[in-house]
Amino acid sequence: MKSKRILLYRLAMILVLVVVAAVMLVIGRGHTVYFDNVSLEYEGTTYETPYKVVVYTGGEEVAKLYDGERGMATCIGQNLDLTLEITQEKGGEEELVSVSVPLPYNMDGIIINLSAYLEGLPEEAYLTEFVPAVVPSTEEDEEVVTGDDMMMGDF
Amino acid sequence: MEHSATIDTRRSTFQVLIRRFGLPRLIIAGFLLLLFIMAPFVGANLTVQILNVINRFSWNAVLVLALVPMIHSGCGLNFGVPLGIVAGLLGGTLSIELGFEGVPSFIMAIVLATPFALLLGTGYGALLNKIKGGEMMITTYVGLSAISFMCMMWLLLPYSSPTMVYGLSGSGLRPTISVEGFYDQVLAGFLEIPVTADQSIPTGTLLFFALLAFLMWAFLHTKTGTAMTAVGSNPSFARASGINVDRMRLLSVIMSTWLAAIGILVYQQGFGFIQLYTAPNNLTLPTVAAILIGGASINKASIPNVIIGTILFQGIVTMTPTVLNSMIHMDMSEVIRIIVSNGMILYALTRKTEGLR
Amino acid sequence: MKTKHSFQSKVGQLVRDNSVPIMFILICAVCIPLSGFSPSYLLNEIVTRMGRNTFLILCLIIPIIAGLGLNFAMTLGAMAGEIALILVSDWQIWGIPGVVLAMIISIPISILLGLLCGKILNRAKGREMITSYFISFFMNGVYQLVVLYMMGPIIPIVHDSIKLPRGYGIRNTVSLLNMRQAVDNLLAINIGGVKIPVLTFLFIAALCLFLIWFRRTKLGQDMRAVGQNMDVARDAGINVDRTRIVSVLISTVVAGFGMILYLQNMGNISTYSSHSQIGMFSIAALLVGGASVEKASIGNAFLGVTLFHLMFIVAPSAGAQVTGDSMTGEYFRVFVSYGVIAIALVMYEAKKRRAKSNASRLLAEAQKQGKEERA
Repeated sequence: MKSKRILLYRLAMILVLVVVAAVMLVIGRGHTVYFDNVSLEYEGTTYETPYKVVVYTGGEEVAKLYDGERGMATCIGQNLDLTLEITQEKGGEEELVSVSVPLPYNMDGIIINLSAYLEGLPEEAYLTEFVPAVVPSTEEDEEVVTGDDMMMGDF
Repeated sequence: MEHSATIDTRRSTFQVLIRRFGLPRLIIAGFLLLLFIMAPFVGANLTVQILNVINRFSWNAVLVLALVPMIHSGCGLNFGVPLGIVAGLLGGTLSIELGFEGVPSFIMAIVLATPFALLLGTGYGALLNKIKGGEMMITTYVGLSAISFMCMMWLLLPYSSPTMVYGLSGSGLRPTISVEGFYDQVLAGFLEIPVTADQSIPTGTLLFFALLAFLMWAFLHTKTGTAMTAVGSNPSFARASGINVDRMRLLSVIMSTWLAAIGILVYQQGFGFIQLYTAPNNLTLPTVAAILIGGASINKASIPNVIIGTILFQGIVTMTPTVLNSMIHMDMSEVIRIIVSNGMILYALTRKTEGLR
Repeated sequence: MKTKHSFQSKVGQLVRDNSVPIMFILICAVCIPLSGFSPSYLLNEIVTRMGRNTFLILCLIIPIIAGLGLNFAMTLGAMAGEIALILVSDWQIWGIPGVVLAMIISIPISILLGLLCGKILNRAKGREMITSYFISFFMNGVYQLVVLYMMGPIIPIVHDSIKLPRGYGIRNTVSLLNMRQAVDNLLAINIGGVKIPVLTFLFIAALCLFLIWFRRTKLGQDMRAVGQNMDVARDAGINVDRTRIVSVLISTVVAGFGMILYLQNMGNISTYSSHSQIGMFSIAALLVGGASVEKASIGNAFLGVTLFHLMFIVAPSAGAQVTGDSMTGEYFRVFVSYGVIAIALVMYEAKKRRAKSNASRLLAEAQKQGKEERA
């Protein structure tokens, strides 16, 4: 009876750990998000850019984008909450928009086209994966240092 | 013992062989054999490989031999080999500093190393007599402390020979010092048998080792030598029969330390360089692992153990890189070396040994 | 007269029992003025390092209670922590969730390694320390086999930033930039220019509470009994082997957590050297705090981490001041670390031997007396 209870406790413990791990996998996924303030042609329509967009995440300004510019922010989790301060024309009224962009799990770097997103276009239109430019592999093979150098490191 | 022998006869001969020889040893010997068989197929020159093994054997054998006395007297595996090495390094560097060259530099190195070895060995032995039963852990840390202490000393001692010190500051020894012009190949060059263009059998080194090994064998058969063995295999019996246990142990530690000092000098004359600072630390494990692979245990070791062990260990060290590299294009030799040497030590430590506590 | 004598002997005893910490205080007292560091700099460094390392040092206490001596095989836990962090970093889990996930992943690896280690140590009763020392070296080989050859082809690793250019194996350094000091910075407070990583200290406090609580449980009591005398404990119906394995297991798991906390503070993993040094440093630090092979307390850990790091920080620059070469100081602190362990081991063994010979002398006397009485 007692051993059964212990077994049950252990199973429950493992279950809890697995659940926590799963939650961490979801809420801890980090992304690097790039915002493009660039005009975009989609299904024959061209979407123009506003004059200026200031991007805030978590109350901090991360980018101030004029036409054709790109900004960057890092984000942990599945949704990116943004506050955009949009100025359509030079000297025009500022307009505050709060949005929450769902981010695909398996992309490390993500490019979001702001104007396309604001127009409410589907995901395939405003979102593309950021692939770091492939540098031709001139990299020398790194020498692996495995020797134990008798505690000469820091602690 | 008799009881276990009767059990043995009932087992198959194969099991007896495994028991006598030890499973890990069998695996390692088999592995080495496999490497030798594979070598020609992957395009490695077997003659070159065998010569490599012989040469590396000649460098290391004396160091491995240095472990024998302490194992005999029951002090266990001498992880404090670096202490003897330090004495040898002092002898070698002093000989160069004092301006000796060629063959005399080697002789002087041995002569100069001897007082250091005797002094350090005596202190070390006296310490080990105070802590009977905990030798192995203490020897490990005595070795490590000795190396790190000498790291400071190599920088601070007033050496001035331009072949050894840093060129810019004019003080402090360099980590690697070539012994060319001093005692490079002095033993190996004696009666050398050239085989290929740049490789030969180092007859002199082998003879030198044979001499030391013979002396060790002869010593172990003298009255003092058998007394030492008695101390190791059964201390209370040894004490009862009037043997001075502490004196025997002290003697064994001094012998071990002195042989280690000679051993590093032999190593250097073959290798061609004196390595200072933390480098001597890398010799401890291969040395201990070699004698264990050769069939020694924590309280038993013989000259054949030394010879077989050194050949097997050095064989694996030289053969794995060449064969594995050409077979799977991965140099796993370092990992294999770590696993084999430490695995062997673990095996020896976890085996039930009779006569030791 | 008599009181004076006993007072002297008491002081003598106190000095003998605490010779290592006293020696260290003296070393620090000499080195601090020489190094020329300001007190606030030293305080800041020590608080940071205390948060970074105390967890790792505390993991050594339980095996000591169980009579296994200094657990050199705590590096096994460190390896588990590193493997977990490498995986988490490849999966791009950042910040606190990354740290938590790494801890959870490290648990099964630590348990596996701890189980193995405990089983081996049970086969080497009476020489656990030297055996655990070589287990750590042996497992380092296995770790290299896994990380250098199996990560990539067998264990999937996606990102080129942590994979070697040749396509398999992990680079010498893995950056943990995205979780760097995530735990330390959350809830951190700044007092007079000294940053105090409150959350990290909360973790450490939780572990201390666990240790205090654990010592009072049935298992903890069993462990103490096993540590004092295995035969007596076995006669009392305690499963000695199992108790010893559990103690190693807990130590390994805690070491895994400790390594993760340590590395999140450092901000990167030295894939092939971080763990190999951690065991030696932690043991040296615990001994500096006045612990011995058979007795260690939480207080020892805190005193040790403070004194050891004080020496660690000031020695190189003090050495440079005295000898004009900064390397001398660095070698000096390595020498001191090894020397401290050597001295502690010698003192322990000498004491053990004295106790043993005392006991046998008493036994001999008792026998003699018995004979005389019979005669």
